[in-house]
Amino acid sequence: MQRSVIFELIRYCLVLIALFFAMIPVFWMISMAFKPIAEWTASGADLTWWPKAPTLDNFRFIFGQNTNALIVELERTAGRAILASLLSSVIGTLIAMVVGTSAAYGLSRYNYGKNLPLALIQLRLFPPLAVMIPVMIMWTFLNLVDTWWGLSLIYGIVTLPFSFWLMKTYFDEMPKEIEEAALVEGCSRFRVFTRITLPMMAGPLASSALLVFILNWSDYLIALMLTTREWVTIPVYMASLSSSMTGQLYGAKAALGLIAAIPPVIFGIAIQKHLVRGLTFGALKQ
Amino acid sequence: MSDIRLENLTKRFGSFTAIENMNLHIRDGEFLALLGPSGCGKSTTMNIIAGMEKPTEGKVHFGDREVSRVPMGKRGVGFVFQNYAIFTHMTVRQNLEYGLRMNGLPAEERKRKANEMASFMELTSMLEKPTAGLSVNILQRIAIGRSAVLEPAIFLLDEPLSNVDAAFRSVMRYELKQLQRRFKQTMVYVTHDQLEAMTMADRIAVMDQGVLQQIGTPLEVYNNPANVFVANFIGAPGMNLLEGSLVSEGDRLFVNFAELQQKIELPESLATATQAVKSRDVVFGFRPEEVELDTQPGGLTLPATFLERIGARTILHLGKDVCEVKAVFENDVEVMLDSQVAFRPAMGSERLFEAASGKRIS
Repeated sequence: MQRSVIFELIRYCLVLIALFFAMIPVFWMISMAFKPIAEWTASGADLTWWPKAPTLDNFRFIFGQNTNALIVELERTAGRAILASLLSSVIGTLIAMVVGTSAAYGLSRYNYGKNLPLALIQLRLFPPLAVMIPVMIMWTFLNLVDTWWGLSLIYGIVTLPFSFWLMKTYFDEMPKEIEEAALVEGCSRFRVFTRITLPMMAGPLASSALLVFILNWSDYLIALMLTTREWVTIPVYMASLSSSMTGQLYGAKAALGLIAAIPPVIFGIAIQKHLVRGLTFGALKQ
Repeated sequence: MSDIRLENLTKRFGSFTAIENMNLHIRDGEFLALLGPSGCGKSTTMNIIAGMEKPTEGKVHFGDREVSRVPMGKRGVGFVFQNYAIFTHMTVRQNLEYGLRMNGLPAEERKRKANEMASFMELTSMLEKPTAGLSVNILQRIAIGRSAVLEPAIFLLDEPLSNVDAAFRSVMRYELKQLQRRFKQTMVYVTHDQLEAMTMADRIAVMDQGVLQQIGTPLEVYNNPANVFVANFIGAPGMNLLEGSLVSEGDRLFVNFAELQQKIELPESLATATQAVKSRDVVFGFRPEEVELDTQPGGLTLPATFLERIGARTILHLGKDVCEVKAVFENDVEVMLDSQVAFRPAMGSERLFEAASGKRIS
């Protein structure tokens, strides 16, 4: 008993240390988001952990309001970038999940298309840059550059292998007897899929969707190449936050970073139950 | 009418033949056990009856209806799987009502039937609970209830008790029999456990390597096995089988065991039966439970090699390898290890098989 208390103590200390290192950058970003320009441009001893004079100036700035401290004129405001990111990531995730799940189910249940899994992943076998140049040319040709649908489509395509492979392993693990039990009782194939299989797959679906969403949400390269003005996403927009007078606008970047962190966190909390439960099927004991 | 007829049923998976030209008639209201070792084709037979697999050749009839091409949802059979196949995202009640809802029954009717089945399967107290955390015993009860509530005329059970614990298994053996008495379905029960087959079934169909070996009541199969496989498979331990050849001395017929350099006389009924077979090579069989120890001449003598005492019974092993004979005694037996034991099969318990085909000579 004594020994296990000590063990637990050490375990918690180690977790805290790991957490400390993981959280410092996050803390630094949050702190910086609320610092006035004088504080985030400071150096040496003037650098402080907490903002000395907390302000919302950075947020006001990226949303286009004039602030006293930041005299730089913004070409575009962050609102548009947030919209672009949300729209393309959500729709891209939907495309990847719908197509990936259907393909995974089909392949898992029927004995066709043995080469499809490899074909799907080949997009990922090349360096992204090598793939993106031809895609850029195609997208230009199809008039899809700098549109939310063009970006959504490519997001759906590049994250499809992830949703497909994840869902395939989950479907393979699900015992086919559960579906056969419903079929024998007079359920149609489609109904089995929507009423039995998908509800039982709620956990895997949610966690795969979260992964795919985060991949899309944090993409920089694709958005950089396929958007120019109208539908620039948060990461690309963030990179543009600099000026010839003040250099990198760290405060503004931190403020935008803080905003960008919100959707994945909310999504994560919303499906937390599934993330923890994962794949604890109670239906089968082999 | 819901008898089941399998006609010249053959199922191949690529070059592997799972079922070979099988003919089987399962009578209306009968409890039939499909018994055999793993991979003998019993589950495939069951899947074909249910419609999960299509036969390569042959037909399946339910009553007058040929159902070979009817999809499984339209056959009106109940199916219980070895691994329960419970819908874990639903409560116990939702599971029980699932098939009823598929058949479009009104809510009130569903509720009444589910309640009735729950009380029969002793699930009433947990009707509203989620199924996810329940024990395997309960899950199998739910699975049986979920199929039975539809009152199918044909009820198929694929090793339903293989995963539950031993104590629960004996309870369920009783309850399944009760269930069948109540609903009078035609039940087909796949199992590799002969105890389950013996205790519950009206008739047993023994299968091996895709071929139906014998069909008969439990006692027929036990007492008069059709061939060497059934003789050895049924019974624990199985029938003693010794290879020998027929020799006649005057008008008496003996089986000579070359390796033992001993012979045993055949009773007259068996001696007459052998006239119909050409080959002299036979397998001589007798049940371990029907061995008598005696010192009178005319029997066999083998060294005692091993004694297994399992409470109520003692299994005496005599000889070894191809000449091994097992004898089962109630309680204990007074035999010294390594001593020579004289014994003979009880009168009338001898069985004789052709060595080449394995078929019983009778």
